[in-house]
Amino acid sequence: MARELSTGAAINEAIAIAMRSDPDVILMGEDVAGGGDRSKEGTEEMGGVLGTTRGLVGEFGMNRVRDTPIAEMGLIGTAVGAAATGLRPIAELMFMDFLGTSLDPLLNQAAKLRYMFGGKVKVPLTVRTVCGAGMQAAAQHSQSLYWMTTGIPGLKTVIPSSPADAKGLLLASIRDDDPVIFCEAKGILNQTGEVPEGDYEIPLGQANVVREGSDVSLVGFGATVGIAMKAAKALDGAGTSAEVLDLRSLSPLDEEAILATLEKTGRMVIIDESTPRCSIARDVAALCVDRGFDFLNAPVKCVTAPHTPVPFSSVLERAFLPSAQNVLDAVGEMG
Amino acid sequence: MATPISMPKLGMTMEEGTVVRWEFDVGAHVEKGDVVLVIESEKNEADIEAAASGTFRHVYIEEGDTVPCGTLLGAITESPDEAFDASAFQAAEDHPETQAGGSLEVRTPTRQTPPSPAERQTKPIAPAARAAAKKLGLDPTQIRGTGPGGRVTKQDVEAHASAREALTPVANGVALEVVAGGSGETVLLLPGLGTDVSAFARQTPVLLERFRLLGVNPRGVGHSDGPEEAAYPVEQTASDAAATYEGAAHVIGASLGAAAALELALRFPDRVKSLTLITPFVESNPRLLAVAEAWQRLAAEATGETLAAALLPWFFSPGFLADTSVRARTLRGLAQTLARVPAPTLSRMVAGLAAWSGTRTQDLSRVAVPTLVISAGDDLLTPGAGTLATEIPGASHVEVAGAGHAVALEAPEAVNGAILKHLS
Amino acid sequence: MDFTRDALLDVYRRMRTIRSFEEKLHELVGAGKIGGFMHLYAGQEAVAVGVCSQLTDDDQVGSTHRGHGHCIAKGVDVAAMMAELFGRTTGTNRGKGGSMHIADVEKGMLGANGIVGGGIPLVTGAALTAQVKGQPHVAVGFFGDGATNQGQFHESLTMASNWKLPAVYVCENNGFGEFTPTEFVVPVKDIADRAASYGMRAVIADGMDFFDVYEKAGEAIALARAGEGPTLLECKTYRFYGHYVGDATPYRNKEEAEDWIQNRDPLDLFESRATEAGIVDSDALRTVDGEVAERLRVAVESAESDPLPEPGEVLTDVYVRYE
Repeated sequence: MARELSTGAAINEAIAIAMRSDPDVILMGEDVAGGGDRSKEGTEEMGGVLGTTRGLVGEFGMNRVRDTPIAEMGLIGTAVGAAATGLRPIAELMFMDFLGTSLDPLLNQAAKLRYMFGGKVKVPLTVRTVCGAGMQAAAQHSQSLYWMTTGIPGLKTVIPSSPADAKGLLLASIRDDDPVIFCEAKGILNQTGEVPEGDYEIPLGQANVVREGSDVSLVGFGATVGIAMKAAKALDGAGTSAEVLDLRSLSPLDEEAILATLEKTGRMVIIDESTPRCSIARDVAALCVDRGFDFLNAPVKCVTAPHTPVPFSSVLERAFLPSAQNVLDAVGEMG
Repeated sequence: MATPISMPKLGMTMEEGTVVRWEFDVGAHVEKGDVVLVIESEKNEADIEAAASGTFRHVYIEEGDTVPCGTLLGAITESPDEAFDASAFQAAEDHPETQAGGSLEVRTPTRQTPPSPAERQTKPIAPAARAAAKKLGLDPTQIRGTGPGGRVTKQDVEAHASAREALTPVANGVALEVVAGGSGETVLLLPGLGTDVSAFARQTPVLLERFRLLGVNPRGVGHSDGPEEAAYPVEQTASDAAATYEGAAHVIGASLGAAAALELALRFPDRVKSLTLITPFVESNPRLLAVAEAWQRLAAEATGETLAAALLPWFFSPGFLADTSVRARTLRGLAQTLARVPAPTLSRMVAGLAAWSGTRTQDLSRVAVPTLVISAGDDLLTPGAGTLATEIPGASHVEVAGAGHAVALEAPEAVNGAILKHLS
Repeated sequence: MDFTRDALLDVYRRMRTIRSFEEKLHELVGAGKIGGFMHLYAGQEAVAVGVCSQLTDDDQVGSTHRGHGHCIAKGVDVAAMMAELFGRTTGTNRGKGGSMHIADVEKGMLGANGIVGGGIPLVTGAALTAQVKGQPHVAVGFFGDGATNQGQFHESLTMASNWKLPAVYVCENNGFGEFTPTEFVVPVKDIADRAASYGMRAVIADGMDFFDVYEKAGEAIALARAGEGPTLLECKTYRFYGHYVGDATPYRNKEEAEDWIQNRDPLDLFESRATEAGIVDSDALRTVDGEVAERLRVAVESAESDPLPEPGEVLTDVYVRYE
């Protein structure tokens, strides 16, 4: 049975299912309950700045759903320590831009404890964070920094593109015994879609062919899958059959799926709403040139945001974000 | 029991130290904590204390010498006369630091180093195309590219390969593209210098109604194999053509194709039912050679349309050229035809032409098959075509007034009429 | 004093083990037998043992780059520690961590930590686990005076106070943060003064006096275990060696250093107090010294001959599972 839920509601459902099935799962972050101990008095309609965690403190209580001070290093670091000592925490980093204020516990502790301790500890932490532009939140609240966490050995990074995927990927991430950065792209938060009921997981490290095609591969993740689908529809009308691959998981990365679609079409455009240097787009392109060289029938094109901060004004933000037209231009250019 | 005195590593950047002064003589008694040695490193002196009490027993490194950190400098034994093997102790305790441990092994690539930019083909070839070509045993540089900038794509290679499957083998390892159709008596079409079978585009519909047509693209033209030879001799073109059919056929050739047809008739007269020579020559005149040279240069340096525009006035009459829309359409079609003859092929054909010129002038009287010569009144390239009709015994002659060298395209009704009459 | 003879011998053994271990390392690093950065704890033994002797294996301890003392005090196997420093697979961390990351989670040792202040949030997290699960455990964080300037210290103590976590934050104020004197960079006279910012209880102890540390730590631990919230315990102490092996300490006053080393050695102070109380005699302590020396000798010997990891192990244990 499926019903239509928004991405935010699907995430809420996943957290609730995880917390019901395992008493060690706790949720902590800034305003995740909302209202501190006034939550008891019925401020449950809050649940985070975007309302994603509404209702959870009501069901699970304040021992397991904790509002923290605005202290990212402290909250994330505490979550790391709790994960290393027997809990399975979900910590919320309100905006991915706040990796700046919370990086050390993730980079030098969570990512490295297992390795440095010779495999004798595990850190089953999930950090949920909102990334991406499109809400005019401006430069310090709109970045897509998944390239940073993807590049850190010891962390995993996943990014769903739809409500159904968000629920399944989040359940898998929470139950994964390694630290997972779960990226919630602003571009899909208000999107609705069919979401199956009940408990299900989508495994990490598996990409998904969202649309089959034969002439060109459009590779996207998070909010860019929708852009790829729009471009694919337009290309269809012009007689070009586009295949759309949703990466879903940036680390671990489904390299075989990427190479398989490249082998099939010989032409690839990667759409990434982050900035270009050291990006996921270029990382995937390098993989294609290295391990898929003989499949290349045209250059691999990367459609990304420009090498700039995110601007405020809506016309500028629109120019910043990759669009379906950018994808069509890239397909035309590549020959 | 012996205690080592080694060059210490005082600080992360220290790599070596110098023994400045031993404070004791060998054989003296030392107490743990006594300064037994002064060393110097990075312009600083440091006191080194004895780690144990006993007899200062042996010196390995003298004053003034500089050694790496970890080098054994001296030894202290608990008692003055206990057994002490200086070299064994050194073997066990000497640990001088070496630079970035281990030796490096340079690996040579197992495949050839890639060609320099100057050596590389200027035609871009997609990696997928290279891989497909390698698998199919084809040379991708010989395949026409339809991608941006003339890039050879995988599809181009595959198209070439499947076209090649339809090729007709004519000699060792050489197969030609033969455009075939129709039924009935066999008619062979041999195109001229730098063109392909599409030069007969105005003839083929008419002939297909009555005959089995074989349009032969010679070596290097269209999908035909183009082996690397210094020249494509006209004799070879003829024997290649003879290998594309069995028995006897009506042979029609234009310009350089007519030279091949003539060779065919002279060498294999029993294979030729009738001979039609369109704007032929036995001796190339200087203008033809000059145009051929210009043609070669433009083929190597210019775009297909520029080449076509340059050749247009040499092929067609002023009357034809006066109609601008006809001229424009013809330009586009000519450009496509010319694109099917790469520059190296053209050079080899011209070399063959130059070598053949003048060799058959005396042999025209030996032509023993029914021959039709079609000449054009405004032919700038082979103006003497009509004279062959007088040299070849029993030959008929049709001159199409006011037409240029490409008479088959310019005046198809007249040409087709003459051919049909000759073949029946 | 309220100690049995066995208890006194036990804590002495732990302190002597720490001292001898660090002195041995000084020798080994100087001889080039051990690589990497080495930060020695000698001089601060009374703090580690004064606190950890009152903890169980279920109580987690967080530490610093100067962590050998905390590891030994918490009961981590000395031979395995030595093997780790020699980079062997028999090491506590299988040779993957080294001096600054020695850990034994089963013994409640969450690891030495190479990031100044990095262990403080981890300890706060361990305390959170105990609180969420309703376990009677405490988490103790050791850190230096320098770490109290870190944001991680501030944020962790804020959260621990808000939630009344069962934690004890032990600041080992040894007067120097790397090469810089504490008074030059910490704007308050006593680190304990900083607890007021968090509404947290704070106590100062003489870090060279085992018995003072023991008493004050005991109170803090009991309060935490009883759900009364965290304490900041500042122990005034001194490190006998430099910041790391190779640091010749030109930034320290030679006479002042000599005074601490000669006249305020925590092992000497312990011995006088313990023997004065008539519960142990010096001979018994010398016997312990001998046993510790032998144990270390054996540890070094086996560490030097234990197997090194295979190169392939560089790839193992990054994740639990990675598809």
